[in-house]
Amino acid sequence: MTELEREEWISVLNLVPDEALRAVIDNFPADWIIKPKALPQAGLGLLKMRDSALGEPFYLGEFPLSTCWLSISTQDGKTAEGAALIMDDRIEQAEQLAICDAVLSAKLPGWESVAQLVSLGAERKQIIEKERKAILARTRVDFSLLDDAGDDDA
Amino acid sequence: MLELASIWKPEVQQQNYRSILEAMSRPGRIQNITFSQSDSDAMTAILATLLDGEVSLSDPDKLLNIDDWPMLQATKAEPDCADYIVCKGSSSPDFEPKQGTLSSPEYSATLLLQVESLTSGSSKIRLQGPGIETSEEVSISGLSDDWLTRREDWVYAFPLGVDMILVAQDMILALPRTTRLEVI
Repeated sequence: MTELEREEWISVLNLVPDEALRAVIDNFPADWIIKPKALPQAGLGLLKMRDSALGEPFYLGEFPLSTCWLSISTQDGKTAEGAALIMDDRIEQAEQLAICDAVLSAKLPGWESVAQLVSLGAERKQIIEKERKAILARTRVDFSLLDDAGDDDA
Repeated sequence: MLELASIWKPEVQQQNYRSILEAMSRPGRIQNITFSQSDSDAMTAILATLLDGEVSLSDPDKLLNIDDWPMLQATKAEPDCADYIVCKGSSSPDFEPKQGTLSSPEYSATLLLQVESLTSGSSKIRLQGPGIETSEEVSISGLSDDWLTRREDWVYAFPLGVDMILVAQDMILALPRTTRLEVI
């Protein structure tokens, strides 16, 4: 299936190119009945934090957020539920990811294609993390040099 | 690919909101609610239009489909503290709905009563008040007289009170707190 935990599927699938995701979704049987369990929504999430001095709450910022929770019923009587919560303003993207989540969790027909996408997404995630680590490493400051500078001033 | 019933779509909700607004503005005049007979009903269509995650809902008579609760997003509450209450019109009220406060009368309950008919029935009522030129008369079936009796107590201390919406088939009729009722 896939080595990743279910809670990680959506984050890695979200890194897969849109065309690849769309192609897999389009290959699922058209006679599946896909119904929402909750209203799919897109909007802005607010990041609430507390300041360290007085403990007063404040909003650090906002970010796009889309949610989808759905159920799939196949013609042979199988049912599965899937959900997605992504930092993106496209409801369709959340819907597609939720469908993939349901298909993979219940091993509905076509789950192998989704598992391949998960692997692809996981590879992309590793590359992105590596790049970020490299960027972060370049920002590292060697404070030991400051000691030398201090000696000079003295 | 995702099948969404029409009552959850913005264009239908806007239509239904207009109907609810018209019903509240013209008490006693029947308005129509848009929904698909195959997968929904007027009561759920009204709730889909009015509710969101910020309000609470009570369904003491279990009129709603359990699958609709997550779609409505409203939190469950007891009738005594709910923002919206769904009830059978034929049953008698055994709760005291929120009537707001003098500084915030809008923090009161809206009651949605499922009745059998809004065009014929044994309950004949004359309505007067804001939004009615002289008076309106309506005949309703499936509405217990207890609701009208209790309503008198609930709306007595205006601006405190409750607003009622009666629902039958695809029709609604509103009884805002400002409307005076007389059983004839």
